[in-house]
Amino acid sequence: MCDCGKSDLTLLDGVLAEYASVRGSLITILQKAQEIYGYLPTDVLYRVAEATGSTPAKVMGVATFYTQFRLTPVGKHLIMLCKGTACHVNGADAVEKAICEELKIKDGETSDDGLFSLKTVACLGCCSLSPVMMIDEDTYGSLTPAKAVEIIRTIKGGDAA
Amino acid sequence: MADMIRFHINGKEIACEKGASILDAAKANGIEIPNLCYLKDLSPYGACGMCLVEAAGSPKLLRACSAKAAEGMEIFTDSGRVMKARKIALELLMSDHSGDCIGPCKLNCPAHTDCQKYLAQIAEKDYEGAVATIKDKVPLPASIGRVCPHPCETACRRQHVEEPISIAFLKAYAADRVLASGNHVLGEKAAPTGKTVGVVGGGPAGLTAAYQLALKGHAVTVYDKMPQMGGMLRYGIPEYRLPKAVLDQEIAEIASLGVELVNGCAMGKDITLAELREKHDAVLIANGAWKSASIRCPGEELEGVFGGIDFLREIALGGKPAIGKKTAVVGGGNTAMDACRSAVRLGAEEVSIIYRRTRAEMPAEDVEIKEAEEEGVVFRFLTNPAEIIGEDGKVKAVKLQVMRLGEPDERGRRSPVPVEGEFLTLELDSIIIAAGQKNDPAGFEDLPVTKWGTILADEHTYATALPGVFAAGDATNKGASIAIAAIAEANEAAKHIDAYLAGIELPYHEPVYSEKELSPEMFDREKAPRAVMPQRAPEERNKDFKEINLGFTEEQATAEAGRCLSCGCHDYGHCKLIQYADDYCADCKRLKGDHHPGFQETRLVSIERDQGKCILCGLCVRVCEDQAKKGILGLVGRGFNTVVKPEFNDAAVIGACIDCKLCAENCPTGALKIL
Amino acid sequence: MKIVIGEGSCGIAAGAQKVYDALAPLLNGTDINLGITGCIGMCFLEPIVDLYDKGLLLKRLVKVTPEQAGVIAEAVKANDLTALKALEITDEDKGFLDKQTRIALRHCGVIDPEDLDDYLAADGYKALEKVLTAMTPEDVIEEIKTSGLAGRGGAGFPTWFKWNAARNAAGDEKYLICNADEGDPGAFMDRAVIESDPHQLIEGMLIAAYAIGAKEAFVYVRAEYPLAIVRLEKAIKDATAKGYLGNNILGTDFSCRLRIKAGAGAFVCGEETALIESLEGSRGMPRLKPPFPAEKGYENKPSNINNVETFANVSWIILNGGQAFAAMGTETSKGTKVFALTGKIKRGGLVEIPMGLTLRDVIFDIGGGIRGGKRFKAVQLGGPSGGCIPEALLDTVIDYKALSATGAIMGSGGMVVMDETTCMVNMARFFLDFTTKESCGKCVHCRIGTKRMFEILTRITEGEGRPGDIELLEELCEAIRSGALCGLGQTAPNPVLTTIKYFRDEYEAHINEKRCPAGECAALRTYVINKDACKGCTLCAKKCPVSAISGEVKQPHAIDAAKCIKCGQCKTVCRFGAVEVR
Repeated sequence: MCDCGKSDLTLLDGVLAEYASVRGSLITILQKAQEIYGYLPTDVLYRVAEATGSTPAKVMGVATFYTQFRLTPVGKHLIMLCKGTACHVNGADAVEKAICEELKIKDGETSDDGLFSLKTVACLGCCSLSPVMMIDEDTYGSLTPAKAVEIIRTIKGGDAA
Repeated sequence: MADMIRFHINGKEIACEKGASILDAAKANGIEIPNLCYLKDLSPYGACGMCLVEAAGSPKLLRACSAKAAEGMEIFTDSGRVMKARKIALELLMSDHSGDCIGPCKLNCPAHTDCQKYLAQIAEKDYEGAVATIKDKVPLPASIGRVCPHPCETACRRQHVEEPISIAFLKAYAADRVLASGNHVLGEKAAPTGKTVGVVGGGPAGLTAAYQLALKGHAVTVYDKMPQMGGMLRYGIPEYRLPKAVLDQEIAEIASLGVELVNGCAMGKDITLAELREKHDAVLIANGAWKSASIRCPGEELEGVFGGIDFLREIALGGKPAIGKKTAVVGGGNTAMDACRSAVRLGAEEVSIIYRRTRAEMPAEDVEIKEAEEEGVVFRFLTNPAEIIGEDGKVKAVKLQVMRLGEPDERGRRSPVPVEGEFLTLELDSIIIAAGQKNDPAGFEDLPVTKWGTILADEHTYATALPGVFAAGDATNKGASIAIAAIAEANEAAKHIDAYLAGIELPYHEPVYSEKELSPEMFDREKAPRAVMPQRAPEERNKDFKEINLGFTEEQATAEAGRCLSCGCHDYGHCKLIQYADDYCADCKRLKGDHHPGFQETRLVSIERDQGKCILCGLCVRVCEDQAKKGILGLVGRGFNTVVKPEFNDAAVIGACIDCKLCAENCPTGALKIL
Repeated sequence: MKIVIGEGSCGIAAGAQKVYDALAPLLNGTDINLGITGCIGMCFLEPIVDLYDKGLLLKRLVKVTPEQAGVIAEAVKANDLTALKALEITDEDKGFLDKQTRIALRHCGVIDPEDLDDYLAADGYKALEKVLTAMTPEDVIEEIKTSGLAGRGGAGFPTWFKWNAARNAAGDEKYLICNADEGDPGAFMDRAVIESDPHQLIEGMLIAAYAIGAKEAFVYVRAEYPLAIVRLEKAIKDATAKGYLGNNILGTDFSCRLRIKAGAGAFVCGEETALIESLEGSRGMPRLKPPFPAEKGYENKPSNINNVETFANVSWIILNGGQAFAAMGTETSKGTKVFALTGKIKRGGLVEIPMGLTLRDVIFDIGGGIRGGKRFKAVQLGGPSGGCIPEALLDTVIDYKALSATGAIMGSGGMVVMDETTCMVNMARFFLDFTTKESCGKCVHCRIGTKRMFEILTRITEGEGRPGDIELLEELCEAIRSGALCGLGQTAPNPVLTTIKYFRDEYEAHINEKRCPAGECAALRTYVINKDACKGCTLCAKKCPVSAISGEVKQPHAIDAAKCIKCGQCKTVCRFGAVEVR
């Protein structure tokens, strides 16, 4: 269960040097750690607990409270599909269904080829372009099921090239 | 001196220090406000929603644990709105509280005998403790342990692993051990009350009521028409199943409490109900159902036709009914089994069972059917007497209608239908009709009866229409049933008679408890087969009436008791959640939905945790952090999926646990158990 | 001449950056400036390209594509804009902006958010200067009191009161916190303000910090707003460099440090005590009140929390006077309010209007009504804490009190418009799904109560509704409203209560007739092929994943209702509109 000893913990040193002694920085540290490792491996959480003087229970509690944090690795591309009110009204459910069928995954899962992870989010704040999704840093608006699938296929094609 | 303020709770003026919470101020003045997540030394948390109170002029309900008392406030802790809010909070909590408050054995026992507790006592060889536990509900454990069709075992969860625990025989084992030791385990007897109770009928119901009422300090007299006490246990159950010497010892124990036993006293003949009412402060009618029911078949009046109950009684009285060489017993229940096996023992050469359904539908216990087969009884399924054929006024044969099973009825039971024109004839010397029992209302003409002719009694208090007259057991309501059901009614009736004698009325509401949903993984554990009761060989035992079971060895008994899965919650009786749920009559099932699965795991040094029972009050997490200063437990996840966990489930981290047990001690439910 | 491209998140998502990248090389070597601005608020027209001459807006080009960059560059270079006629905004669409009164958004889409000088040129930091040099903290609070400014985050609590409480709380160490955890799905005005006018927020916060006596300030911003964080970081850096932030601001003895804390995804952190827990690096679980943050907030020190839009009004009030602000609006609600108008609306975007207009004014006059010729059904206000308001109440005045009377709330200003194809039961279910996912799990009412409500709504939309479910929902609503610990739970029943109140017939149709009047609930839909319209092309039969459609070539096909899984593939692929939903 514990994957201790697998991660290169020296990568954390800079972040810990900057924030470990600053009160209330646990969330910031975990955010930076996730940027480094792509997710929050258990040994990293232990290291953070040790360096910040928190109990592992507290670190785990925080890491599992916020939806931004992931305890398992994600695919190469993270699809964040907005399920906000405007997106709901404008057909986000159908878009989600199309994406799930295309990638053969459910919300929170990663495709078999490791390329895409799907995560539905509460609201991306781009309501006027609804339905919306974000893939990595890019936002795609006014989606239809077909358009969403096309975007995914294009990214996949780009990776293959 | 601190600033004092004055305010009102439920109209009563209260003074407290400024800054005190409403909850603390109330408590200091003897007003309890319920709470599940509050602990005096911790800062208020506000999770459970139990301490909600109403403040005059405030549209919102306040949390008494955090809201500060203020000068002139008008607080109501029991207004309709508050009670409703708490009730629904409890219903919500119970809807995500997965656990068995009470083990299925105890729940399914009509008398709610605490099987789980006495099994644990037997496993630890505390036989006297076990007998004390049993006698709380069943004052005849050695007898009942031998004859009870044990609904407890029917419900026993161990059957989902392999086979149910042999609960009934373990009961008998413990009781036999204690009887053999010469010690008498009896409940504590209260000081004499000066009240007297007359009990009509010395069977399981009457004796149980006598025991319970004697313990309460009342003077009890039991009246019975038969020469000896014991009722159907003595006259309806053959010696080979229940040696009367065992029954005698248990009756003697009850008598030792000062219960007066009057035999040979028939109602309506030797004494009347009016006389009893005159003589005693209260009367309990528990005279059973002693008449064999008819099967409405031509020829029932012939010589050689016996009623099942009458047949067994005659043997018990020392007689030897003339059944000849070939006999048949009509019926498929336990009385039919007792009758056919007794017939075998009387020397009949051919004994048949005539039953209109198939083996699968037989109400008799499986083991009895098996034992009867072993002893040579022939089963003629799907047959029904059409006519008993006589010659010279004596039974000669029976004409049997061949039956088949029809479509299942609404209860799923397939009723037999005749196969037109198909009959069999069976040559017989006698026939025993064991197709049910009826009560005899003689002597109780003053009491209203049900449509079945039984005495009508209140189903909770067992009071009849006559003040001070109660009725329980086979003679009442739905009629004849098993001994433990009569005992259960007698316990309840005794409770209400005691209350009646004290001039109070006990309120009744359905008990509130939680039941767990079963899942296969709960039973994924090492198999250990059920203990086999050593028995005399069939060809030896079918020749006499000596007891066929030889009894467990101690090794067998303790191992068997150790198979118990301990389904019932260890915290039942202390659990604040269920106590409140009961107080507020919360409907535990109304808001049913998705819930946390229940499972046991040991993570901390000596604490066992069951997530299914956790109500997320956060007390364990907070005492671990604030009082033990360890912070080992934490909340993981969010919203409905939140769980309490020692971090990462990692042994190294758990090693930091100092085993202070504060977490479990403060758990308001049974989620944390000290091992 | 200057070309300015609207680069808020929405603009970028619509392709603004691609337009910029296409234009930039074409303008090399010319004296034409290419710049950016924030969100103009006309999201339905993005990407938007504005052409300025000497600070005057000459032309506004809308829905610009990178392919049109050449035409634009040529026209601008030639100083002949006639070729751009087709790209220009229509007069009708102009009305969207012209009918608004902008205070909080007054710089949005006008100035370059990444350029402090642009902000300074628009009277930036003048209010701060006035406050620091000519006003006492009490004066500031008095001015805010005069303005009648109320918290724009949702509850509408008087801003001056909170400031005053924090100012009067004992202790030297006080904190000012900006709640930029804009979590209401359907609201994005705070993001727009930070992305488009970050200095405005900083200035408003500094004035507040001065008023309450805080030397430390935080902006707690959602992690989902990366661009806002980047622009705010730059603004903080620039403002610090110029002496508007940090020690001895503008040479006075007022010092204040401002830090950004990125949230990590928890709607409940919009609740102020949960936000404080999160700022402290803990699980964002609300605390019991009392004590209130003004007394014991961040690190148990007196703290004041307001949201972005509230702060965005402050400098305007200081410069123009509280009276001017209070002159707008109604008796109980003063000034303006920003709404994010979205959903099935023709013209969606950010709308800032004076309080006192009606919902109809906003939805039909400014927003142009429902798009696609459908019929208006309801407008959802206030997100998961708000409610759905039906057509009959469209003339309700926008004001805290009047909106609350409908069962909805003003909220942070999300205004999601729904047409006849939106199922109101499913809408309630959608919000309860949100609430259960966002519940922190602390109190039983919210943790289990909203879950049970969600389960009941789910079974109703799946055709498993039972008689008595509506009453059970109402009972749970009441219990949760009065029993939940924080605002998230207490208001969670609102979407259910308002839909039951105004659309009870829809609930009843689902439960009693197993019918979804809006045709949205898949389990209650029946797909049938109109025999007259079907050409027998067989396409639907080929696409049907469960082979529920049969028929001969060129003959009308039919759907076997028993096999149909209601996936809607047939309807999607049919080119003759022959598949109908009933």
